[in-house]
Amino acid sequence: MAEKLGVYICEGCELAKSLDTQALAEHLTNGKYSSQCAVVKTSAVLCAPEGVDMVAADIAAEGLDGVVLCACSPRSKWDVFKFGATQVERVNLREQCVWSFQADPTFPDLLQTMAKDYSRMGIIKCLKSKNPNPEIPVTNKDILVLGGGFTGLNAALNAAKMGHNVILVEKDAALGGKAAGMLKTFPMTYPFTQAQDTGVDKLIADVTANSKIKVYTSAALAKLEGAPGLYTATVTSGAGEEQLPIGAVVLATGWKPIEGSFLAPMGYGKFKNVVTTAEFEAMAKKGAITRPSDGKAPATVAFLLDVSMAVKAAEAALAAAQAAAAAAPAEAPKTGDACETAFVYKNMESAKHLAYSSELNSLVALKQAGYVREKNADASAYILYDHMMVPGINERYYRAAQDNPGVMLSKADITEIAQDGDGGILVTAKNTLLGENIELKADLVVLPTGMVPVTALEPTINLQYRQGPAFPDLELFDGFADSNYICFPYETRRTGVYAAGCVRQPMTLATAYDDAAGATMKAIQCINSANRGVAVHPRSGDLSAPVFNFQRCTQCKRCTEECPFGALDDDEKGTPKPNPTRCRRCGTCMGACPERVISFENYNIDQMGSAIKEVQVPDTFALGGPRVVVLVCENDAYPALDMAAFRGKKWNPYVRFLPVRCLGSVNAIWVADAMSKGIDGVMLLGCKYGDDYQCHFVKGSELCNRRKINIAESLQRLGVEAERVEQYEVSIDEYDKIPALIESFMENVIKKFGPNPFKGY
Amino acid sequence: MSNAVRVQPDLKFVKELQEVGGESLKKCYQCATCSVVCPLSPADDPYPRKEMVWAQWGLKDRLVNDIDIWLCHNCGTCSDLCPRGAKPGDLLAALRNMAYRKLAQPSIIGTWMSSSKFLPILIAIPAAIYLLIWVARAATLGTAFPLFDAAGKVVATGGRVWYGGLFPGDFTIDPIFSLLFLFVVFTFYKGCASLMQSFKSLPKTFVVGRTKEPCFCKCVVDTIKNEVAVHSRFKECGQEEETQSRVKGHLLVFYAFLALMVVTGTVAGAHWGGFVLHKMGLDGVFLTILHAFGDTPLSLFNPVKLLANAGAVALLIGLTLLTKRRMGLDNAKQGSSFYDWYLLGMIWTVALTGVMSELLRLVCWPGMAYPMYFFHLVAVFMLIGYLPWSKLGHLVYRTAALAYARKIGRIPMI
Repeated sequence: MAEKLGVYICEGCELAKSLDTQALAEHLTNGKYSSQCAVVKTSAVLCAPEGVDMVAADIAAEGLDGVVLCACSPRSKWDVFKFGATQVERVNLREQCVWSFQADPTFPDLLQTMAKDYSRMGIIKCLKSKNPNPEIPVTNKDILVLGGGFTGLNAALNAAKMGHNVILVEKDAALGGKAAGMLKTFPMTYPFTQAQDTGVDKLIADVTANSKIKVYTSAALAKLEGAPGLYTATVTSGAGEEQLPIGAVVLATGWKPIEGSFLAPMGYGKFKNVVTTAEFEAMAKKGAITRPSDGKAPATVAFLLDVSMAVKAAEAALAAAQAAAAAAPAEAPKTGDACETAFVYKNMESAKHLAYSSELNSLVALKQAGYVREKNADASAYILYDHMMVPGINERYYRAAQDNPGVMLSKADITEIAQDGDGGILVTAKNTLLGENIELKADLVVLPTGMVPVTALEPTINLQYRQGPAFPDLELFDGFADSNYICFPYETRRTGVYAAGCVRQPMTLATAYDDAAGATMKAIQCINSANRGVAVHPRSGDLSAPVFNFQRCTQCKRCTEECPFGALDDDEKGTPKPNPTRCRRCGTCMGACPERVISFENYNIDQMGSAIKEVQVPDTFALGGPRVVVLVCENDAYPALDMAAFRGKKWNPYVRFLPVRCLGSVNAIWVADAMSKGIDGVMLLGCKYGDDYQCHFVKGSELCNRRKINIAESLQRLGVEAERVEQYEVSIDEYDKIPALIESFMENVIKKFGPNPFKGY
Repeated sequence: MSNAVRVQPDLKFVKELQEVGGESLKKCYQCATCSVVCPLSPADDPYPRKEMVWAQWGLKDRLVNDIDIWLCHNCGTCSDLCPRGAKPGDLLAALRNMAYRKLAQPSIIGTWMSSSKFLPILIAIPAAIYLLIWVARAATLGTAFPLFDAAGKVVATGGRVWYGGLFPGDFTIDPIFSLLFLFVVFTFYKGCASLMQSFKSLPKTFVVGRTKEPCFCKCVVDTIKNEVAVHSRFKECGQEEETQSRVKGHLLVFYAFLALMVVTGTVAGAHWGGFVLHKMGLDGVFLTILHAFGDTPLSLFNPVKLLANAGAVALLIGLTLLTKRRMGLDNAKQGSSFYDWYLLGMIWTVALTGVMSELLRLVCWPGMAYPMYFFHLVAVFMLIGYLPWSKLGHLVYRTAALAYARKIGRIPMI
C-alpha cells in the first residue's frame, strides 16, 4: 500500500483556464487525505522536463511511494510519467473533466466538484494499491512445434535461429506436410506472375541438419501438462513415450481435405472424371494429367469454384437431420448410473469449409489451369467461379493467368453436373458472363477442396487443463484455431499456444511463412514473459496476478469455470489452483467471485469500491444534481471517451468514469457500493459482443451482462429499480455516439426514476 | 437446365483473333466500362463487353454472326477508358478484319490480305499484267518511254507524254478494269449474301410503336442517306477533337473518291458513248461535246479535269488528317492493324502516283512519267481488285449490316 503520496495538478493544455487549480490543490492539501498527501503542487506543464524533474525530486526528497498525477488521460504521456518503483496513478482531468465539460447553469461549481471527485478517487486508488511482487518461476525455453509441414518447418527454423531448442512433432512418417505433395505453389516473389517451387525440400533439409531442432516423426502429442514456461509434453512416437519440458507451443497442424461426401452433390464419387483439386495436384506432381476413366490426357478441363450446390445440399441434410431429431425425442441414457461420460470431441467439419477455402481455391484453379496449359499447348482450362478471390498481390497472378489464351474464365452459378456418353462431363450454369444459361462439356472436371483445420476434428493439443483438452468455443470459428480477437493473430484461447498456418485460417504458403514467424515470436515472447512474472498479452508486461484468499473460498468453482483462458485448475474439493503464466490478468475471476476472495495488488475490490465512494453525492437533486458512475472498459470504451473529448464532444457533467480492466472484472459489490452511497445509476460501458466480438478477454461483456441480471435481482430486493444499472456496448470507433448514450441514460433512467431512494442516508 | 445453350470454346479462334489485332483481348475482366462509355452502343444488350468475353472463350459462332461489330465506328473511347488495357475497340476492329478475310471468295485472297508477308503476291499480279503489256507495247512502238506528236505518232523529240499511247485505254485499261469491276461487284454480292445469312440467327428486337418491319430497300436508302452521305452515327462516335478530325478526314476522302469516280465515269461514258455514236454515224455537235470529255488527256481547264484535280487535293488533305490521327494514336490504348495501314498506304499510293503521273506528264519527263503511271495502274488495280477483302470493304458490308440492323430494330431508322 502506498502511504506517502505526492499529488500534482497540471495547468497545461488549457486546464487552468477553466479550472481553479489552486482551489483544487487547497482542497486536497486540507481535505480528508491531508495526512497521506505529503506534497500537493501545481505545475504549468507537468509533462515538460521541469514538471517531471520536480516530481522526481520530490520522490527523492520526501520518500514518496506513490504519485497522483492530475493531468491528461493515462493513455497519453505514459512513457514520460515513469518513476521507477514509485506507483503512478493518473487522474484524467483533461479528457474526462475539463475538455468534455458541459456546463449546467443551475450549478456553477460543477467543474470544480468534478475535479475534486476525480482527484480524490485517484488518491484512494493509489492508497489502496501496491506494487505487485509475483513469484518468478524458472521456465523451460524449448519450443514445441506441432506439425512438420511448411508452416511448422519455418517456425522450427525461426525458433532455432533465435537460440531456442525446438521439438518438432510430425504425425506422418515424413516431414513436408501438404506442401510436399504440391507440384508448385502460387508466386511468392516479384513479379508475382508465375507459379513456383514450394521450397519445402530445402526446408526439410535445413530442419534435419539443424542441431537445435529435434524431429519426431510418426509422432503425436499425447499430453500437454502445466502452464506456459512450465509445460511437460508427453510425445509418443515409434521410440515410445517421452516427457519433454516445454516453454511454449507453436500449433501448425494444418488441414485435411474435406470428406468427399460433401462434394457428392457435384458428381464427385458418381462420375469417374470428376476429381478434386487435391487429386489433380497429386496427378500433376506425379507427371501426367490423365482422365481416370480412360487414362487419356484431357483436352478440356473445367475447374468449378462455385460450391453452392454442395453447400445447399449439406444445409438441407442438416435441416432434415434436425427436424428428424426434433420429431423423435432423445432417448434417455439407458445406463442411468454411469454419470461419467467419456470426453467426446465435437466434429466441426462442415460444407462451410468449402466456402472458407474460396480464396485458396481461386488461386489453386489458376495454378492448376496453368498445369493444363503447360502439359498440353492445345488444351483449354475453363474456370467457372462464383467469386474470383485474389486479394492483394495475387491480383498480379490472376492477371497473368488470365492472359493465357487457353485459360477461359467466367462467373457462373453451377446448376447441374452430368455425364455424357463418352465419359465427358456436362456442366450447366446460369448467371454467366456469356449472357445466358450455358452448357459446357469438359473431358475432366476438377472440384475445389475444402480445407478442414485439424482442430475441427480432434483436440490436437491434449491439454491437461480443468476446462478440457482442447481450445474452447472453436465452433465460433468452425474449428479453426483462430485468435479470439482480430487484432491479435496467432493468439489462441490458451496462453502459451500460438497458432500458425492453415490450422488458423486457410492461407497461401506466402502467408504461412509470415505466420510461422509471427507465432514463433509470440511463443518466444511468452517464454520471456513467464520467466519475468509478467503477462504476455494483451496486458503485456503486467506484473500483477490474481491473489486468492483461500480461507474464505467456498469452492463454488465460478472462477475456474468462467476464466476465459482456462488459467485456473482446481483440486478434488474445487479449490482453485492458479497458474499465473496462463493468466492474462483480465480480472474475470475477481468479477466472478461472490465471496470476493480474489484480488490483484494494484486492482482490487476494496480499491474500486472505495473509489466509487469518493464520488460526492448531493443529498437531493436540487442541491447539486444527480450522480452516475460509469464503469468503463479500458480497452475500447475508455479510448473512445478520450477520442470523443479530443474531438470536442461534451457530455453530461453528472457522470463519473472509472476504468476497469474488462467488464468481466466488474464485481457486483461495486454496484451495491454505488447504490448504497446514493448514486442514482451505474452505466457499464463495454465492448461489442455477438458476431463481431471485440473483447480483448473473449467474453467480458457477455459475462457482465449475465451477472447484471443477478445484480438486478439483488437491487430489486433492496427496493432499487433494476433499470438503474445498464450495460452498453461501445466499439472503439463509436466515440461520436458517447454523449448521446450518456444523455439517453440520464433521460430514460435518472429522470424517469428520480433520485436513488438511498440518497442522504 | 432445358434452356441452356451449349457453348463450344475454341482456343484456335482465340489465337486467330489475337493475331488479327485483338492481342489484348485476354486482359478484359468484364467490368463493362466499355459498354457504358460507348457513345453508340444500344442500351439493350450493349457491345463491346459481351464480345470481349465471347472472344476470351473463343465462341466463334457467336462472333462471326454478330451484327454489332458493324455498329462500331472505332472511336477508341472504350479502349481509352479500359482499366485493364484490353482494347475492346481493337477487338471489334479485329473481328471486322476477320470478316473481310472470311466473307468473300476466293478465300485465298483473304489470306493474302491478312498479313504484310503476302504483299509481294498482291503486287505481283497487277504488276505482271501491266509489265507484260508494257513490254509488248514497247516492242511495237520501239521504245519503252515513247513521246507522241499531236496525231499520236511516236516521235524522237518534241513530242508529249501520252499514257493512252503506251497503254491504250480501249484495250489495256478499260477491259481489264471493267472485268475487275464486275468481279468485285459479284464478289460483294456473294459476300453480302453470306453476311445476311449470318445475321439470320440474330434475335428480333421488339421496338415499341413499330407495327411491322420496314422493307430492306427503305433501310438501305435510310442508311445511305444518313450514315454514308453525312456520317450521321460516325459523327457521334467519340467527342474529342481528334475524333472530329477523323470524321473530317473520312468525309474528305469519301467525297474525293466520289468525285474521282464521277470523273472516271464521265470520261469512260463520254469515250465509249462517242465511240458508239461514231459507229452509228451520228457525228455532230453532241459528239464533239462527248469528245471534249472522253478524249484524254483532258485540258486542265476542262470542268471534269477541274473536278478531278479538286478531288485529288481533297483526297490528299483527307489522307493527311487520317494518317496524322492514326500515327498519333497511343499504342498502349489503341493499336493499328495491317488492315488499317494497308488501306491508308494503298490510298496514299494511288493518290500520290496519280498526282505525280499528272505532273510528270505535264513537265514531259517520259523516263519517270511512264514508270509512275505503271505504279499508278498497279495501285489502282490493287485498290479495286482486292476491295472486298480489304478494310475498304466496309463501304459495302457496313452499309449492308447497318441497313439490316435497321430492319431488325437493332438501331432505329432516322
